[in-house]
Amino acid sequence: MQDYHEFIDEILVDEQTIARRVAELGAQISRDYADKDLLIVCLLRGAITFTADLTRRLTIVPELDCMSLSSYGVGHYASSGNVRVNLDLRTNIEGRHVLLVEDIVDSGRTLAHVLEMLRTRNPASLRVCVLLDKKERREVPVQADYVGFDVPDKYVFGYGIDIDERYRHLPFIASVDLSKYRPPA
Amino acid sequence: MQPYQEFLAEILIDEAALQRRIAELGAEISLDYRGRDLILICILRGGMVFLVDLMRRITIPHQVDFMAVSSYGSGARQSAGHVRLSLDLQTDIRGKDVLLVEDIVDSGNTIAYVLEFLQTRQPRSLKVCALLDKEERRETPVPIHYRGFRIPNKFVFGYGLDLDEYYRNLPFVGVVDPDKYKPEN
Repeated sequence: MQDYHEFIDEILVDEQTIARRVAELGAQISRDYADKDLLIVCLLRGAITFTADLTRRLTIVPELDCMSLSSYGVGHYASSGNVRVNLDLRTNIEGRHVLLVEDIVDSGRTLAHVLEMLRTRNPASLRVCVLLDKKERREVPVQADYVGFDVPDKYVFGYGIDIDERYRHLPFIASVDLSKYRPPA
Repeated sequence: MQPYQEFLAEILIDEAALQRRIAELGAEISLDYRGRDLILICILRGGMVFLVDLMRRITIPHQVDFMAVSSYGSGARQSAGHVRLSLDLQTDIRGKDVLLVEDIVDSGNTIAYVLEFLQTRQPRSLKVCALLDKEERRETPVPIHYRGFRIPNKFVFGYGLDLDEYYRNLPFVGVVDPDKYKPEN
């Protein structure tokens, strides 16, 4: 297994900066939902680290649930943005205040589909909190309500975000130098 | 939502002690699995906070995957035959070194079933890392290779462990005073 030092391009957001921003988002969400019964939905697997840290910075007590999604097709067909639900919510969200937590938004297609699907279940409110927003890549008009950081159109990893299922454990967000990265066999 | 201070009997393990012990476990695991193809498996949803903190303390590259199980029927009469897999792994674990990461081992019934099930897929090795071990409650023996803390048979919450789906976001493990806790519904 390659050590990340071999292919790292640069650290885009370091650990302290992430912690500070996550605390700010936690404070803001706690204020916005002060008297509400909040359900936080973590999208597996990329958002796990962000969700675990963000929820610990809340001063309100939310309920937590998870969803696991994948895109249909590969390559060129994946761009339809249609999603398959591998694990659905255990919670009935009708009448609930729902905050969807996602690691990264780029084209926005997956997020748009998830929001559309969840809206059919008639939540009282539905908002999105995203760690990284790659605005340059947006293809459909979808806007997150809470954004951690705007990032350039680079291939990123760390803080829950994988490259070929690895390197999620790194505490910072970095970009990959693709000329140096070798995928696992 | 009732503030936890109203029903908290005691803080069993505080945030600093949790983080210290998790750092030790991470160091131990990093050493033991050096040069191996490690995959951490988390059973949703309780184990997520522990998983996220543990993986950040593991210095070797590794994969992370999730399973969700639910029980047929309800109540205390759970047995292996009543466990249903609601989310399977995305990864083929054949030939890999698998470490099952659990927040708490209680009766051991569910974990014993999951271990048996994972074994049929022929991983190279299969071990268990549990943050909390409530040994008094054990009904089915479970080999725990990495143990965070042995705890008494008390009703605990926080750090991923819920009380009626809430309070998972507290950064410590607390004990509930059942006389003072008022469930919402």
